[in-house]
Amino acid sequence: MKNFDLIKLPFSKENPILVQVLGVCSCLAVTAQLKPAVVMSLSVIVVVMLANLIVSLLRNTIPPRIRIIVQLVVVSTLVVLVDQVLKAYVYDVSKQLSVFVGLIITNCIVMGRLEAFAMVQKPLPSLLDGLGNGIGYSVILITLGFVRELFGSGTLWGYPVMEKLGLYEIGYENNGLMIMPPMALILVGLIIWWHRSRNKDLCEK
Amino acid sequence: MSKTFSNRYIFIYSAVLVVVAALILTVVSVSLKPLQTKNQEAEQKQMILKTIGVEATRNNADMLFDQYISVGAYPSVRPDEATEEGVHGSTPLQFYRYDGGIIIPMRGTGLWGPIWGYLALDYNSNVVGAVFDHKGETPGLGGEIASDKFAKRFIGKKMDTQAIHLAKNADHSNPYEVDAISGGTMTSNGVTAMLEKAFENYSNLNIQNTPSTPNTPTEEAREEATE
Repeated sequence: MKNFDLIKLPFSKENPILVQVLGVCSCLAVTAQLKPAVVMSLSVIVVVMLANLIVSLLRNTIPPRIRIIVQLVVVSTLVVLVDQVLKAYVYDVSKQLSVFVGLIITNCIVMGRLEAFAMVQKPLPSLLDGLGNGIGYSVILITLGFVRELFGSGTLWGYPVMEKLGLYEIGYENNGLMIMPPMALILVGLIIWWHRSRNKDLCEK
Repeated sequence: MSKTFSNRYIFIYSAVLVVVAALILTVVSVSLKPLQTKNQEAEQKQMILKTIGVEATRNNADMLFDQYISVGAYPSVRPDEATEEGVHGSTPLQFYRYDGGIIIPMRGTGLWGPIWGYLALDYNSNVVGAVFDHKGETPGLGGEIASDKFAKRFIGKKMDTQAIHLAKNADHSNPYEVDAISGGTMTSNGVTAMLEKAFENYSNLNIQNTPSTPNTPTEEAREEATE
């Protein structure tokens, strides 16, 4: 497997959210606005990459019997680090993400990649695999954040797009459902639908 | 993976791993502390300003706070409680003055962790503004206490003879009742308990009807505090 494939694959047939349906919890929760979605994406990318790298470096020293515990220690240390950095430098965002940063620890994507990939692969491929999966996760998160904020609140990154376009004056109204978590689920469903219609081999028989 | 590891190796391995992780976290936590504390203080000032309708940003919070608010500190009635309480490290009976009345801090516990807030009262104990926040209540449910929508429900309520409480399908004409959060019952109960406690502290201050001349009461408060 070429290293380049590792980055590309998650976009297509191995997207963690669309195909493996992992990490959906945070995907529904932090996408009401674009900004937390982007910050969550970056945090997850950093955590998956570093966790993959570290676990891959340690893989031959980790006793199989306690491997899950070792993975958890690595992941939670990284997550606490990310949380501390966010609190110091982007405090408002860290407040919005509040419990979800902690939930990265239990994000199935992270544990899934560690167990399935980093435990048996060399460091560089593992790092790239983390990047690929992180990006695959981010693409969906940011898409949702974009759509939900634009149609739910009429803003993008806090900028009042709809107001500037003058749409409210001609009777346009924000869709309140967009802000609610169920709408994220519906949107993810639509994206999965679209994704499978383009990749027929993913459809269950 | 077929390699076998002795128990001895496993124990030493896990011990070393945990110590290394702890060391890294300690270093980072200590070195970022000043920045985080600064953020928290600015946020607290923003919250207090918000109760009297002044929107401050993280950067100008300090300046606006000094402009509008003075800190009043009454001697703690129950000094034993003064040290163990407080999310931001202030004592329960510390309060703030603005030119129309006082702002009382509130602290309590929600479902998952601490909740806190500020209540701005005029000199007749009418609520003119409120603001709440939480450490880790469920977003969308209990976390809604931090929303403006929830805070606005308090405006016009009273804290004179009894505390405001949250209730399901609250009677809007009742000055002591505010609509609770649907889906956030545990957090709402926490808010009610917090309001009761704040009311108790506020009654102990015994300053409900101090005249509305802005600066004199503060002077008195300071003198009293130093005695």
